[in-house]
Amino acid sequence: MSLFGLPILALITFLPIVGAALVAILPSDRPDWIRRAALGTALVVWVLSLLLLAAFASGQAGFQYKEAFDWIPSFGIQYKVGVDGLSVLMVVLTTTLTWISILASGPIHDRLKGYMVTFLILEVGMIGVFVALDLFLFYIFWEIVLVPMYLIIGIWGGSNRIYATMKFVLYTLVGSLLMLVAILATAFAYQAAHGGSWVGAFDYEKLQQFAQAGSFGNNFQLVAFVALFLAFAIKVPMFPFHTWLPDAHTEAPTAGSVILAGVLLKLGAYGLIRFAVPLYPYAAHTFAGPIIVLSIIAIVYGAVVSVVQPDLKRLVAYSSVSHMGFVTLGIFVFSAPALQGAILQMVNHGLITGGLFLLVGVIYERTHDRTIAKMGGLAATMPLWSTAFGFFILASIGLPGLSGFVGEFLVFVGSFMVAPVVSVAAIAVMVLAATYLLWMFQRVAFGAVSDFLRGLGDHLTDMTGVEAVTVAPLGIAIVVLGLFPSLALDLLSGPVRGFLVAAGVPVG
Amino acid sequence: MTWSDLTTAAPVVLAVLVAAAIIVVDIAVPGRRKLATGVALVGMAIVAAATILLGLSGRHETAFGGAYTLDGLTTFLDLLFVAIAVLTILFATDYLEPRGLPMAEFAAVLVFAITGAMLVAGSADLLLLFVALELMVLPGYLLAGFARNDPYSTEGAIKYFLLGSFSSAILLFGLAYVWGTTGSTRISDVSAALAVVASSHSIQPGLAMGLAFMTTGVAFKMAAVPFHYWTPDAYQGSPTPVTAYLSVGPKIGAFAIALRLFVGALGPLKADWLPVVIVLAIATMTLGNLVAITQDNVKRMLAYSSIAHTGYILVGLAAFAGGTKGLETQAIQSVLFYGAAYTFMNMGAFAVIAALQRRPGVSSQISTFAGLGRRDPWLGALMALFLLSLTGIPPLAGFWAKAYVIVAAVQAGGWVTLLAVVAMLNAAAAAFYYLRVVVYMYMREPEGQPVVSSPGALFRIGLATTGIVTLVFGLFPAFVTLASNAASALGS
Repeated sequence: MSLFGLPILALITFLPIVGAALVAILPSDRPDWIRRAALGTALVVWVLSLLLLAAFASGQAGFQYKEAFDWIPSFGIQYKVGVDGLSVLMVVLTTTLTWISILASGPIHDRLKGYMVTFLILEVGMIGVFVALDLFLFYIFWEIVLVPMYLIIGIWGGSNRIYATMKFVLYTLVGSLLMLVAILATAFAYQAAHGGSWVGAFDYEKLQQFAQAGSFGNNFQLVAFVALFLAFAIKVPMFPFHTWLPDAHTEAPTAGSVILAGVLLKLGAYGLIRFAVPLYPYAAHTFAGPIIVLSIIAIVYGAVVSVVQPDLKRLVAYSSVSHMGFVTLGIFVFSAPALQGAILQMVNHGLITGGLFLLVGVIYERTHDRTIAKMGGLAATMPLWSTAFGFFILASIGLPGLSGFVGEFLVFVGSFMVAPVVSVAAIAVMVLAATYLLWMFQRVAFGAVSDFLRGLGDHLTDMTGVEAVTVAPLGIAIVVLGLFPSLALDLLSGPVRGFLVAAGVPVG
Repeated sequence: MTWSDLTTAAPVVLAVLVAAAIIVVDIAVPGRRKLATGVALVGMAIVAAATILLGLSGRHETAFGGAYTLDGLTTFLDLLFVAIAVLTILFATDYLEPRGLPMAEFAAVLVFAITGAMLVAGSADLLLLFVALELMVLPGYLLAGFARNDPYSTEGAIKYFLLGSFSSAILLFGLAYVWGTTGSTRISDVSAALAVVASSHSIQPGLAMGLAFMTTGVAFKMAAVPFHYWTPDAYQGSPTPVTAYLSVGPKIGAFAIALRLFVGALGPLKADWLPVVIVLAIATMTLGNLVAITQDNVKRMLAYSSIAHTGYILVGLAAFAGGTKGLETQAIQSVLFYGAAYTFMNMGAFAVIAALQRRPGVSSQISTFAGLGRRDPWLGALMALFLLSLTGIPPLAGFWAKAYVIVAAVQAGGWVTLLAVVAMLNAAAAAFYYLRVVVYMYMREPEGQPVVSSPGALFRIGLATTGIVTLVFGLFPAFVTLASNAASALGS
């Protein structure tokens, strides 16, 4: 299917490559051209993704705008893409954060061309993951994401960037290579059950029907699920696989942190919702208990550790561990509201944490420091910034009326129906989140202007117009989704129902 | 010997003629580097054309009384060997000249080695297989010691020679046992006789010893752990273009032997040699990778990495032995595809080192690579491409190679599936040392004097070829089909 006669998904996915090629041939001594070309590409992709969102028929089940052709017929590997409501949301989140990140890359001057090319290739990988309907294709996009992020952290990151980026790559690779084995084993199980024919063996829809019929053996499911789960859990990241995250976030340049938190962590959650549970429902139910426990630990642990973080970025990074714990919790309690909440929380976390990283980046740009103890009184010197920061912090805490509240609330409701104890534990953490976030905000924004900041004198200017433009769309989205969550929830009705059916949960 | 024999074996015959022509031309007009290079390249082009024409004609027959066979496997491997020879010559041009090393001798010796490798690929007789093997490795010793005045080159060559001869003798010893047991050296006869043995479920001690000796001999040649000790010294000491050749030519040659000998002749006994291959594969992958992590010299690091890659290919061989009848072709196909992908990405990586070492005296320490991405963006990008491919990052050639091997291993089931998991964990560990070079190239500032590298046109062509192949090899299913056609030659 196509939009206006165009293969819309192919355009959205591969247009950034064209942009990257364009940037690559521009002269290196014209940074303004390079910036404009990269930003222009990202904006065009963004507009296309909005068109897709507008044209998407949310009431229907199944995938839309499918494109498919046989790629490696001898193994039944296809180029097959398509979107449902979940994918569309994630694609729009990705394209939005990408242009915002590129716009927020003003501080990057060193090897700018390579940076922009890397960023656009990263966008290809991210979008590809969300639209792929062939497991092999999914894996390829999944790995394509890895290398650009490795370079972005390693080349344009902070002082400890090499350690951080190697840790990030090695963690992710261990998981993803095991996932490859699991994907191949799954395809082989399908092939063996179809008289040795590879046709459809990597096709997600076929595999899902196959799984629906209970055709994957229970023991097989347990093994394959663990391999897939490990890959996704590292990416989310779930406790105890989260230790790469604070380092990567802290060392990455601002735009890298935004993408890392906003999109890359969602890849893991998306993988759990799209692949791990629907393909191996038996195993998902078997392991649901331990996973819920791990999620609760992540929620509590992330919050507790956040309290004591001395560094702004590290604090936001650990809060991500906590927030993503809600997502995995919402997925594995297997109830409609909880899953809706989990998916909303994915979007919200991308918007809110993306905004927080952007704002921390603004401060870092002026002070070259992120130590909370050195800050103070920013409300007086940077009123606009402080207002924006306060807004995103309130959204992160889950203030009703802003989108963060809806997501977490739905997760509570959904998990309360299934496991009240779990829900209570998670709600208690909300208080803790309010504590560490507001306390941090108080130390940074209020009180007397610190000596450190006073020493900077005129350098400490308020946000510029461009910086405001980077956070404004996120703020608007947070308010809109907070007041009208049904905008997103309507899109999700099909995927949520499909997930629950696949997971073998009775739906009304 | 009839005309038909000669045409069937035309690629090998032509390759000998090319080697002879290089020598004759060099005697007639000595010291003309470009002429020698030209003769070698044109000659190899003719060999390639003959190979392709023979392959397209669909002729599958034996020659020389059944000792030589022309089938899909022969054609596939011949083309690969020709590509290896051409690339080696292209990479040698810029390296040998500044060091005053003769080009004509180098090219002639190399083409002789390639002739041997091609003959291995077409062997249908154990005796011919052994003679072809020796023709392949003897020039290799010469090449390893080609920088006569460099003590490291000499040391590496001597180690390579001593252990190589030793392993050849062991292999020959094993072949003798097989001949004694089966009464024939023809691979088809041996296979038939062993099928009877396999069905009787009892292997005589003699045959078991033969199996052990042959495994040891071949493991030496392919540098499988624990028979790998010669590799790091030989690779590090050799002139870099020679290292590029040694890391692929004799290795693919050794796997050609494995395919003809273990898959062809000893196929009926595969259940007996499978456990050995599994152990070898695990040891080779793991040890190669672990030791590579500790290396600070990129040449030596790549030597250990090539050991690890031997292990991955062995996984494909194990998949053949552990799989059911229908999967055999697929397993062999994965071995062939891996060999081809490995050839291009590995030669490319060594070529980048050779480009940096264009000026004599530049070491292959990792510090040489510091800031390369900034100093020479193209060379840096190519090296990054080869290293990422060696790591197995999609959509590069190395990824597809690993994927096909893993597909085969997963299907084989049982212990071989465990092998797939071990291989993937190893691949993750390997990422550390490959990416470490990328870290130096892109994330550190240049140290000391910048290394000037402006390779010549031929060298650039070679680099571009390896780069493009690494980039697109897996994206087009045509290459898989090619490998699968070749593999079906062995599928019984």
